[in-house]
Amino acid sequence: MSSDPLSRLPHGLSFRFVDRILERVPGTKVIALKNVTCGDPHLQDHFPGNPVMPGVLLIEAMTQTAGLLLPDGSSAVLAQIKEARFRRPVFPGDQIRIEAERLGGLGGLHRFTVTASVDGAPAAEAEIVLAQTQAPPA
Amino acid sequence: MNEIVQRVRHLLSTRLKLAKAVEQITDDTPLFGPAGLGLDSIDALELVLGLEKEFGVVIEDRAVAIQVLTSVHTIAEYVQSQGKG
Repeated sequence: MSSDPLSRLPHGLSFRFVDRILERVPGTKVIALKNVTCGDPHLQDHFPGNPVMPGVLLIEAMTQTAGLLLPDGSSAVLAQIKEARFRRPVFPGDQIRIEAERLGGLGGLHRFTVTASVDGAPAAEAEIVLAQTQAPPA
Repeated sequence: MNEIVQRVRHLLSTRLKLAKAVEQITDDTPLFGPAGLGLDSIDALELVLGLEKEFGVVIEDRAVAIQVLTSVHTIAEYVQSQGKG
């Protein structure tokens, strides 16, 4: 496995919505950053002349951050998004700080509480359940 | 035991979207499967986290969860057996 902690994510670079890990306590808590720029392809048409990060991609960034807490070598898919709230829009130039904490799990299911903020102001929050599709190697 | 049963019933009604009102189920109604309330694995996780918050009982093993989460009655029995409630 690469020493790059972000290589834990199975996504290709064009669908990676986490830029840097600030802090990670395996299986417990992670804090990560995502920088939003006007060069992001999805902002070209969302919306023309008025770029706003799509809420679903903010959820994706939060989900990928939560995924950094899964056991080494496992992969997972979204199983549930609960209590999602969007507090403010996210624009090019914003740096999103994403904090994910594992609340618990059962079998291959893991529940996380995840918050996203920009300059200390809440941008979004949700409870996210990930379902492991591949167990970590024994 | 009766008080634990009432708290388990309250937990079911507040944390899950049940197909029936909680008053309409008995303490022995199966929670999972087509013959019962048809709860799924995500509901099971919701219940496990709810039980931890309400009673301080921790269930992490899937095999234990399958046995404990059979009905209101089995949940209440487990809570009591753990010295909680």
